[in-house]
Amino acid sequence: MLLRNVFTKTVRDLRWPTFWVSLGCGVMTAYFAILFPTYSKLFDLNAMLEKMGPAVKLLGASLGDASTLIGFLHIELFSMILPAAMVAFAAGMASGFTAGEESRGTIDVLLSYPVSRSRVVLEKWLAIVLACIVAAVVLWAFALTGAAISASALPPDRLGAALVMLVLLGLAFADIALAISAFSGNRGAAIGVTVALMVAMYLIDALSSIVDGLGTIRPLSLFRYYMGGDPLRNGLNLGDAAVLAAVVAVFLAIAVVAFERRDLAA
Amino acid sequence: MTAAIETRNLTKRYGHSRGIIEVDLVVETGQIFGFLGPNGAGKSTLIRLLLDLIRPTSGGASVLGLDVRRDRLAIDRRTSYVPGELSLYSDLTGRQLLTYLGNLQGQVDAAYRESLIERLELDPTKRIKSLSRGNKQKVGLVAAFMIRPELLILDEATAGLDPFIQLEFEHLCEEARDEGRTVFISSHQLPEVEHLCDRVGIIREGRLLAVETIAGLKERALRRIEIDFIGAVDAEAFANLPGVSDLIVRDGTLRCTVMGSVDALIKAAAHFEVRNIRSVDTSLEEIFMAYYGSGEAADKSAAGEASHAAA
Ligand SMILES: Nc1ncnc2c1ncn2[C@@H]1O[C@H](COP(=O)(O)OP(=O)(O)O)[C@@H](O)[C@H]1O
Ligand SMILES: [Mg+2]
Repeated sequence: MLLRNVFTKTVRDLRWPTFWVSLGCGVMTAYFAILFPTYSKLFDLNAMLEKMGPAVKLLGASLGDASTLIGFLHIELFSMILPAAMVAFAAGMASGFTAGEESRGTIDVLLSYPVSRSRVVLEKWLAIVLACIVAAVVLWAFALTGAAISASALPPDRLGAALVMLVLLGLAFADIALAISAFSGNRGAAIGVTVALMVAMYLIDALSSIVDGLGTIRPLSLFRYYMGGDPLRNGLNLGDAAVLAAVVAVFLAIAVVAFERRDLAA
Repeated sequence: MTAAIETRNLTKRYGHSRGIIEVDLVVETGQIFGFLGPNGAGKSTLIRLLLDLIRPTSGGASVLGLDVRRDRLAIDRRTSYVPGELSLYSDLTGRQLLTYLGNLQGQVDAAYRESLIERLELDPTKRIKSLSRGNKQKVGLVAAFMIRPELLILDEATAGLDPFIQLEFEHLCEEARDEGRTVFISSHQLPEVEHLCDRVGIIREGRLLAVETIAGLKERALRRIEIDFIGAVDAEAFANLPGVSDLIVRDGTLRCTVMGSVDALIKAAAHFEVRNIRSVDTSLEEIFMAYYGSGEAADKSAAGEASHAAA
């Protein structure tokens, strides 16, 4: 029964968004995996990338080798579309966790039952963790199925490593949104600031190799840790994963403390 | 015995505007307590402080002898609350919501819950978003009563209920009281709770003005008194009597307004030959208004007096 506690209730609230995001990302990835042999026969993708020069780097295709499926997925999906989708999903949902209950006014009733404020934040957070993992697992299964259909090589472990980083990136931004909304009670502000931050960080990372000077602030961008170690080629980089995990933990703690201290909206 | 609710110098400011100011309120257990005041008086502010949804600027409060800040979960287990602007998860049905809230509480007597649903004529299969305000209110009331709390805090809970349900609701409150539990109900309309409450507290502009039994409130009532005398009377003899105001003596008839005891007035009148005494009891609503608008009730009686004098 999904009405047992705040965690399961939030899982219930997230079930359809999670279903659609998982399905959308999964089908898209499978589509690219199935069509990869056709693409690579029709075009010499690496040469095309070369010709486009620095411009393509804006799209995040910094390290790609388009002659393999895994490189192709990196360029087409993991550099921009998937992180954008994951962040939008995770942060979009998390921004409404406490702020949504406040603006709808349901928080008054919820907190009049024996559930502490920190518990509300933590259980809801656990639900978004589960949702992101589900989306990643579905994506993984769809990608491998697609690769099997097109008989292309796709190492499951390295795909898995990239998905771990994708989940961590999504959760990092989700926690930033969660912290802002827990602090301000304002979902719009949480979404706005988080998206602006994501775009800025994305641009810093994407442009740092072509614009002088950005290199020094590149460590401030979470995208640097997300694909910086190229997990699709090298497997999981524990250092990068640890940085993202630390960001997740810190902003979760900020969210808990901020929500604990505030006057809640009537 | 520990009080159901006790506030000590409880103050809440919103920036520069007041919420409540230095409220010292004690509500004993085993009664139905009405918390009365006009809109914006600070009723919801005090209640949300008791729920720890907002934090006091200064002062403190305890519920069932437990500190509202420190012992939050222990209080939550033993109390329930229906907010003024009740919002519930609108995508759930009534039954799903009651299941969820029951699970958060831990243990709920299912048979009792079903009897409440029946008594309040709630259709628990409907989604909350499709319910009218009154029906939504019923879901909130079932949720509040089903855990048999030692203290029920109801913020304007009667608003929107139709008369039959209102009656059933009052029975529920009385049953709770008869079991030694406490009901704390706020309202901006005295008539809605006057016959239900054992005691009332009156709050106005953030300050607690009085805590009275309904009987006591009537006792402190403003009464309009008219005394007809045989022969001449000396108006001076009635000046400066305690509790007497709006005094007019004309054509052998004295008219005045008395707050509280009429003893002094009667004793003063006894020095003269009295033909008749008329006492016009003010309604409870008028009493209430006297607490509310310091000016308002007095103005009204003064205006009445003036028209009287002119006639
Ligand atoms: N969040 C808030 N910010 C600023 N002022 C508030 C806030 N909540 C309540 N107030 C003010 O506090 C006073 C008391 O409000 P409230 O407790 O809601 O009154 P009541 O419930 O008796 O109608 C009102 O003057 C109201 O404007
Ligand atoms: Mg109110």
